[in-house]
Amino acid sequence: MGREKLIGYSPWIAHFNTGGCNGCDIEVLAAIAPHYDPERFGVKLAPSIRHADILIVTGAVTKKAGERLKRLYEQMPSPKYVIAVGACACSGGVFHKGYNVLAGADKVIPVDVYVHGCPPRPEAILDAIVSLVMKLRKGDGNGGPRKD
Amino acid sequence: MAVTKVVEIPVTLEIPIGPQHPALHEPLMLKVYADGEEVVKVDINTGYNHRGIEKLCERNSFYRNIFICGRVCGICNTVHANCYVRAVEYLMDIDPPKRAKYLRVLAMELERIHSHLIINAIMAEILGFDTLFMYIMRDREKIMKAKEILTGNRVLADYMMVGGVRRDIDSVKKDRLLNIINIIEGDIKRYIKIFETDDTITKRLMSVGVIKPSQITKYGLLGPIARGSNIKIDVRMGDKYDAYDEIPFNVIVRKEMDSWARMMVRWEETIESINMCRYVLEHLPSDGPAVPDERRLPRRFPAGESFARVEAPRGELTYYINSVGRQVPYRVKIRTPSFNNIINSGFSYIGYSIADVPVILTSYDPCIACMERAVVTNVKRGTRKSVSLKQLAKGGV
Amino acid sequence: MEVPEKIKFLGDLVKEVHSIKPNRIVLEIDKENIRKAFELLLGNLGDTGFYLAVIVGTDHPDKNKISLDYYVITHPDKEVYILRTWLPRDDPRVPSVVDILPAALSGECETYDLLGILFEGNPYLKRGFFVSPDIYEKGIYPLRKDAKV
Repeated sequence: MGREKLIGYSPWIAHFNTGGCNGCDIEVLAAIAPHYDPERFGVKLAPSIRHADILIVTGAVTKKAGERLKRLYEQMPSPKYVIAVGACACSGGVFHKGYNVLAGADKVIPVDVYVHGCPPRPEAILDAIVSLVMKLRKGDGNGGPRKD
Repeated sequence: MAVTKVVEIPVTLEIPIGPQHPALHEPLMLKVYADGEEVVKVDINTGYNHRGIEKLCERNSFYRNIFICGRVCGICNTVHANCYVRAVEYLMDIDPPKRAKYLRVLAMELERIHSHLIINAIMAEILGFDTLFMYIMRDREKIMKAKEILTGNRVLADYMMVGGVRRDIDSVKKDRLLNIINIIEGDIKRYIKIFETDDTITKRLMSVGVIKPSQITKYGLLGPIARGSNIKIDVRMGDKYDAYDEIPFNVIVRKEMDSWARMMVRWEETIESINMCRYVLEHLPSDGPAVPDERRLPRRFPAGESFARVEAPRGELTYYINSVGRQVPYRVKIRTPSFNNIINSGFSYIGYSIADVPVILTSYDPCIACMERAVVTNVKRGTRKSVSLKQLAKGGV
Repeated sequence: MEVPEKIKFLGDLVKEVHSIKPNRIVLEIDKENIRKAFELLLGNLGDTGFYLAVIVGTDHPDKNKISLDYYVITHPDKEVYILRTWLPRDDPRVPSVVDILPAALSGECETYDLLGILFEGNPYLKRGFFVSPDIYEKGIYPLRKDAKV
């Protein structure tokens, strides 16, 4: 319980694209850049996955990328949270019937926050991070750290 | 020549803005074999981003495919949608009014400006020039605002429809767009001066990755890569689609054939795009409605084949559509410029040092925004270590 | 229709000429003559006289054939010419041109992985170029009309 509250003060973010059109990636990039100033929330890009608290997933998860995503998630130390950004990461977007696509990050790893949009504005992405952080600061992280 | 080092550059589709998470194993994009510091062989692998779009297009109606094809690439989505829509218009013998054609050109040129700004920012970042990266990204936000004023969205425009465009502009929007374009022109001229005079950039880019004109056509390289090596191919001049037969512009060609020439071609094209946007806004014709009536769109699609090409920021993009008279197409073939540029260019790294490989790769503007960590294997000592592409570009692995 | 003046030297190999929209000329050639056609193009137009833009394969199960198009664009006059050949559907093979025209590498590898056309003489062909293992291990070519994906 105490660990989650501490994360809320300065969450470090890792970003992974699983085979999308890069539209969401450039909006995530803009959200982390100085124009929208995420550092006032303590949000920073982590130097490696082992230092990250929140994983941002973009792109419709292709089969090859899905395996990498699972391994990346397993490498993150607990407590860890996942934000799926964009229509493709939420449910496959326009590609959900493709033969090479798993259609959604939650087919592979558990997701905490879904950000809809194609692509969502940088303000929406920051809003998702902030609402997750607010929940953590109140000590309300889905009833305790994930059991994995 | 004995191979002493193997460098594997993976693709994980991440845009670099500083430290990133480390590479996992397969799939690789570039596998570079080196003897000491000199590159002796390059293997290129793909398949990471394959979403099966051509098969998806065969199952959805012609109109729904406009949205699917626009999402092939987010950075150049307007040109994808435009090429598909024009291929459908050729099939049905529809000619949109001039006002719609001018507005289409405006959307595509704004996209060219923002795409060229991104790749130049990434090039600055790879060379270690972080300040320039931040400045270019800040100025790029103005173009995103301009795109939002014109099409309603920052990134994915969804602006094209069969017979015209989705939204028109009025005088208020026109003044705001002209304002933004005039401001950005001053910024671009400043950056051109930096790229011409700054030592960090000129010493790392000049004479690196030289490609001769005969190699360009034999290996099928397109876009700014060809124009940087004195081959004047530009689909806007060749096919004169949409309103390019009426808007004056120059095709920029340089003779130096190296990475510096390719980046300078992109900067000078940005100035040409700014002039084109200004011409469009000042000479917008009023010959017909730019937005066609949705209820009057044709519901029957004749049988036949059509082939459309467009000049994307990265090169020539082609769409082939085959219809047999049903509501869905029989075959849609998309060939993006990066398909040719990245896969066919393995020969151009040989003979240069490992530190030059990220620079040459960035000068080709790969549309899969890759650039992640590379894994260097020292064959003699049997060690493997992970380095960022930025460190690779600084040398000394 | 007549063979265009610019590529008159291909005249003997061409069986039929027609066009697709908007005014792109299509020349039908036998699959054994594709290599000869490219050798003639290189000899007459030179190294910088043209480039290979795209290779398109289409499955036609009703005719029991697969069509293969090579799109050639000349420089500097930018004319588009399409060399079209038909292959039998149960054993589609055609001689590769990657040694004389390296630009064909990307197109040939992709068409092999997605449609199953074998380009004889191309050492870089492999399954898994685009398609994931769980599909190619079943021997499925996704762009065939009868592929169950």
